[in-house]
Amino acid sequence: MKKFLATAAAFTMLLAAGCSNQSSGETGKSGENGDWKPTQPIEITAPAGPGGGWDTTARMVSQVFEQEKMIEKRLPVVNKAGGGGAIGWAYIAGKKESEHHMFVASPPLVLVPLNGQSEYGYEDFTPLANVIADYGAFVVKADAKWNNLNDLFEDMKKDPTSVSVIGTSSPGSMDHMQFVKIAKAAGVDVTKIKYISDPDAGGLTAVLNGSVDVYTTGVAETIEQVKAGKIKVLGITSEERLEGEVLSDFQTAKEQGIDETFVNWRGFFGPPGMDPAAVKYYEEKFKELSDSPAWDEIRKKYGWGELYMDSKEYSEFLKKEAEDMEALLKELGLAR
Amino acid sequence: MLVRINQKLAVVLAVLAGVYLFLSFNLPKYQNAIIDADMVPKGLGVLLLFFAVLLYFDKKEETEAEKKKRTMTRGNVLILLAVLAFILIYIFLLEMVGFLIMTALFIFGCSLFLGYRKHVSNAIVSIVFSLVIYGLFNYLLKINLPAGIIPL
Amino acid sequence: MDAFNGLMSGFQVAFSLQGILFVFIGVFVGTFIGMMPGLGPISAIAIMIPITYSMDPTVALVMMAGVYYGAIFGGSSSSILLNAPGVAGTVATAFDGYPMAQQGKAGKALAIAAIASFTGGTVSVILLMLFTPILSAVAVSFGPAEYFALMFLGLTAISSLSDGSTIKAFISATLGFMVVTIGIDSQTGTSRFTFGNPNLLEGIDFLVIALGLFALAEVSTLVLNRKDTTMNDNKDLGSLRISKEDFKEMSGPMTRQSFLGFLIGVLPGAGATIASFIAYITEKKLAKKPEEFGKGSIKGLAAPETANNAATGGAFVPLLSLGIPGSGTTAVLLGAFLVLGVQPGPLLIQDRPEVFWGIIASMYVGNIFLLILNLPLIPYIAKVLRIPRPLLISLVIIFSLIGVYAISFNTFDLYMLVVFGIIGFLMRMFSFPAAPFILAFILGGMMEQAFRQTLTISNGSLAIFLDKPIALTLIVVSLLTILVPLYTGRRKLKVNNEDHTGKTL
Repeated sequence: MKKFLATAAAFTMLLAAGCSNQSSGETGKSGENGDWKPTQPIEITAPAGPGGGWDTTARMVSQVFEQEKMIEKRLPVVNKAGGGGAIGWAYIAGKKESEHHMFVASPPLVLVPLNGQSEYGYEDFTPLANVIADYGAFVVKADAKWNNLNDLFEDMKKDPTSVSVIGTSSPGSMDHMQFVKIAKAAGVDVTKIKYISDPDAGGLTAVLNGSVDVYTTGVAETIEQVKAGKIKVLGITSEERLEGEVLSDFQTAKEQGIDETFVNWRGFFGPPGMDPAAVKYYEEKFKELSDSPAWDEIRKKYGWGELYMDSKEYSEFLKKEAEDMEALLKELGLAR
Repeated sequence: MLVRINQKLAVVLAVLAGVYLFLSFNLPKYQNAIIDADMVPKGLGVLLLFFAVLLYFDKKEETEAEKKKRTMTRGNVLILLAVLAFILIYIFLLEMVGFLIMTALFIFGCSLFLGYRKHVSNAIVSIVFSLVIYGLFNYLLKINLPAGIIPL
Repeated sequence: MDAFNGLMSGFQVAFSLQGILFVFIGVFVGTFIGMMPGLGPISAIAIMIPITYSMDPTVALVMMAGVYYGAIFGGSSSSILLNAPGVAGTVATAFDGYPMAQQGKAGKALAIAAIASFTGGTVSVILLMLFTPILSAVAVSFGPAEYFALMFLGLTAISSLSDGSTIKAFISATLGFMVVTIGIDSQTGTSRFTFGNPNLLEGIDFLVIALGLFALAEVSTLVLNRKDTTMNDNKDLGSLRISKEDFKEMSGPMTRQSFLGFLIGVLPGAGATIASFIAYITEKKLAKKPEEFGKGSIKGLAAPETANNAATGGAFVPLLSLGIPGSGTTAVLLGAFLVLGVQPGPLLIQDRPEVFWGIIASMYVGNIFLLILNLPLIPYIAKVLRIPRPLLISLVIIFSLIGVYAISFNTFDLYMLVVFGIIGFLMRMFSFPAAPFILAFILGGMMEQAFRQTLTISNGSLAIFLDKPIALTLIVVSLLTILVPLYTGRRKLKVNNEDHTGKTL
């Protein structure tokens, strides 16, 4: 037993050496502007396990805030996985009026409650700021007969069941809804769309081997396959064309005459009833983060788009988003 | 009627299958699905029912080794229940009291209860083990275990 | 000669001082994290990502790859010693590894696992090097119909995973399949059997089942035999000695399963778990003494350990050559590539040959490191079993609790763990085998999904399975593996029964 412990201890030390300087400054110096300042570590909740999109965003934000000394308190990230986010949201809802808690969110915060799978929704929390955005892309095999969204939707208007669509998440969630939203604007009978979900990320494979016709996904995931000439992107859901190699070649749905967009937004929320002074503090800090070169570098690394919204803009945006989604989900018979 | 142990088990399983089937038939419908969510569960319920019937009529007698497995002394049952209670208390208090204290207490208490009499090494192991795991997770791996009442 | 030059440049990376150092760090950290409760390759990679930011991409990725296969390598220890599989890929390892350790041959079991892992890993690297460009076509050849057929083939293992009553094995499997239907249905978004409890929406995690049915149920047995001290006096516990005969016995499964495991690993979504199960069944079917399986058979341990490591190598085919992550783990690994500005995909081999070949070449080195790193440690690791029983029991319980807590940080899952511990205990008491339960739990969910995806594509027509040659072949093979033993088994059973009644009279 002693030997075992000794080995374990040796492991620990070596691991410590291998991992080097991860923990950063924890100075107690207070900030110089604003009426409210944090007085203790700020806990950022990622309502999912380590490794996913929410977790990564939370950890990166925490890292930039700490390393660039924008916030002079620690910002530990806590994972509260389960229920597609519902467990984490319930946890934050229980931290009512706390100024030292926040969580990272994206469209599921609107969609999951509408699907009847969470008792808390975006309106229960205090929006702080939106920081990044991603957009949807609709992909087919390189030798498919469709060359743009209108070709595809023409066929789907004639017979929606002749085309199969695959995405990672289940019906009523993001991948599905971004396709439905655009297809609906193009005049397709959205209740008849054949949507298949593959949580193990088999969507791309299914399109490449011809099992399924269309893959609905995020823009960033398509670039490499397009470069290699294996797939083509029929359209993307952003307002305007995106910048970057290959990316700038993707036509938006809008320029193809389909007047609709879908934003995969990602931002931060506080518990219900957060003090407006604290909201103002965080708003400013997130603005500072969003404009910083350190954050720009991280955005580029992960292929995230920039989309800053302050608390007020964010609330209005979310309200409109929720109304749109509720109408669509009702039509699909998925609102519960 | 229920002579063999397998027949008793078969009845329990049949009841389970019945409950599961009942729930499967009450699953909400999604009108746009070609294959709905209730198909596979219904099949599984029927399958379990089928196997329960097979088990009921299975002529195979229990072997001695199998019989021995399910005979326990009253003392052993009580000890198992006590360990179960320890685990439940640990889970219940984990997030309130914190990982460090609860884990050290659990290892020390449970080992003591099960008859480990070297108190000093027990104390050392329980404390060092909790500290090492806590340190590894929270500081090296940055996965936060509950701190509880010790603000570490 | 491009590939050859590429490989040479790869070896240059792998054999540079920096390369060797970081491969070493990678496999070391990987093995270590893999041994920790609840931390498998996914957490290991996710944890290491922030450390790589400022590193040279090639070196960083060589290290991350090392973390990945190191974690798979390390995961088998808890399966063998404690019957507590930390990741799905090592469940089958426990079937024969744990009995072998309980017979006082823990060191030998760990050594066999290490050598089998090494072989599987090394063969898969060679195959990876030779065939990646060709195999990328295989990787995308499986659609939902083919996956359904593959899962179905895996499920035929049920009858061979029990030594007692076949009916009870099938009941276990049905129950396992039922448990996996709990949660949100991926194809319709309907929540099934959740009783309005949000904690159940994402279903019950694999680790909850594995640690409950295997580790906690084993704890109850350990509690009942807590006065047993045979391990304390066993001098051979840490001995690595493997005889010539043992080697002979291992060589068959290791050769076959290196290839089979690699092929299954190439298919996205199938991966190490299915490879290890299929390896276990095929070896049991091929073995001259199948009755030894489950009681500490050398073949039964070597087969899944070879296969899960070979599959890990196979998983690099779709990842590197297509940019398609085959599993949750490779998805996180893909994330690590992206962070470093390297986009895996069809163009990787042209654009960044040093990365592509560097990773492959480093895997040779990494596998050798793993072997020389692990073998000397085995005697110490094996001595875990020499910890006095009462203390060992407490530590195994805590190991399981942390393992589950580290997935969701939610005490609800801990209560579920206890529930499955009790179920596992009852199943033991009434002689229901646990292996079919967990097999159906792992494969059942994917099988249901693939089945319904297929039928949605075909608008509900079953004829689609007849149009797909691969799927059809797999289904026919599955049906044969079920029906043939049923026929021959029935005749055998009759003879056995007569024997049995004869004796009791």
